[in-house]
Amino acid sequence: MRQARRGDREAAAALFRRYWRDAWRAAYAITGRQSLADDVAADGFERAFAALGRFDERRPFGPWLHRIVANRALDLLRAERRLSDEELPETPDLVPLHETGDRSLLAAVAELSVERRVVVVLRYGVGMTPKQIADALDLPVGTVNSRLARSLEQLRDSLEVERVE
Amino acid sequence: MSSELERRLEGLLAEAPEPDPGAGEKALHRSLRALQPAPPAHRGLRTAVIAFAAVVVVLAIAAGSLAAAGALHVSFGAKKSPPPVTQLVLPKGANGVAAIVGGRLSVAIKGGFRLQTRATAAALSPHALYVAAGINHSLVAMAPSGHVAWSHDAGGQVIAIAWAPDGLEIAYVVRRGSRLALHVIYGNGRNDTMIDHSVRAVRPSWRADSLAFAYVGAGGSPVLYDLEHKSRHLIAVDPPAIGVEFAPVGEALAVEQVGGVSLVPHGGSATDVADGNVEAFGWLNGRLAVAVPGLNSALIRLFAPSGAARGSYPVHGIVVAVTPTLLVVRRVGRLVAGRTTLVTVQRTVAVRDLAIG
Repeated sequence: MRQARRGDREAAAALFRRYWRDAWRAAYAITGRQSLADDVAADGFERAFAALGRFDERRPFGPWLHRIVANRALDLLRAERRLSDEELPETPDLVPLHETGDRSLLAAVAELSVERRVVVVLRYGVGMTPKQIADALDLPVGTVNSRLARSLEQLRDSLEVERVE
Repeated sequence: MSSELERRLEGLLAEAPEPDPGAGEKALHRSLRALQPAPPAHRGLRTAVIAFAAVVVVLAIAAGSLAAAGALHVSFGAKKSPPPVTQLVLPKGANGVAAIVGGRLSVAIKGGFRLQTRATAAALSPHALYVAAGINHSLVAMAPSGHVAWSHDAGGQVIAIAWAPDGLEIAYVVRRGSRLALHVIYGNGRNDTMIDHSVRAVRPSWRADSLAFAYVGAGGSPVLYDLEHKSRHLIAVDPPAIGVEFAPVGEALAVEQVGGVSLVPHGGSATDVADGNVEAFGWLNGRLAVAVPGLNSALIRLFAPSGAARGSYPVHGIVVAVTPTLLVVRRVGRLVAGRTTLVTVQRTVAVRDLAIG
């Protein structure tokens, strides 16, 4: 990290390779679309590297990067929602359930609202605490906790329905 | 139930598909370009802080004495100073220079016109008679007098602009939500036409005859758009392309890919002319110049429009742009083109869309 902060491209490339997969998967889990995940994760890294000189190296890089990625994904999805004249896909392009064993969970998460989905991905996918999520998304901790609780409730219902069917 | 669900959720990301390797390489390339190193730590920082504090104390005592004597008026809560003005210097022999420095467009031409405004993209017209800029979701053309010639509502943030060599048309890329669309508009601000509703964030490049231009489609392949026939042709270069530059004469096209540059000569097939990281590329005095990064310098490799190698030479610093007649190099605290220091700029400040006309 120290070398990357000093502008060492090899060190920065190593940092990228260490975190790219997780950042991309988090972006995918939030946006539900591969093309958006490409853009969101790439933008996240670009912004993180542009600000690397100001980053406090005593702090962990991962949560900071995920915070940038999550906010970028939210910005994009919210902007997309505001555009009524754009022909954008309503539903994520997730792989059909039968293709792999447990994609049902990912598909159920994709049905959550953007606001709920992002807290679920950050809490369980990335492993951030509710306090860290609250800081990252500029929300009260209580709001994060209630979104998590309601998300779990909705996910339970979705997975129950699927099991019955 | 919740605990079982939560356990499954903890493996959520493992259920997502793998990212596309091509997307990763492109993102790595972009990220490394954006890398902004921290300023070096100074050994004498502590000493300097102490010395500065001592000076402040002495000045405060002196000011207090003067204020008490009524010789100095002190006020608090003064107005915020305006953002620092970054004025470009025109290189010798050039008609104009434009760049976005730290998010602010700066333009200088022979008559001394200097412009300072926030912008998202910029391009000079031929002979630097006008500048087109993306300002507040509009594409704006400004004359050397500083007056706005016209403004067109682009419906989104304009992120790349390319003025045709004959000055009659402008191609631009606009961001609308998650999509980037490519448009062409007449040089007088009329007849805006969408060419492609989904493209990559790459500046289009016009062919020398102004009858066609190249851009990068949503799939990452370079595309040639023929204005006369309103037709598109995919250019046979492995995607993803991240930059396109037509030669200023003829029809040779250079395409930057992740980890290299290919040259597509007129009527020929693509030839790889450079592998590995590329700092910048473009046409310099009629030859393709590819800047390959080194530790404290870059190696400029030159190629004829046919793809034949024409030698190489090192330059000190980081090459940020290749213009038709000058290389623009970033050295400590300044941007240099030939013998001219274009602008002094902090190392953390981003410079983009630099053009010398």
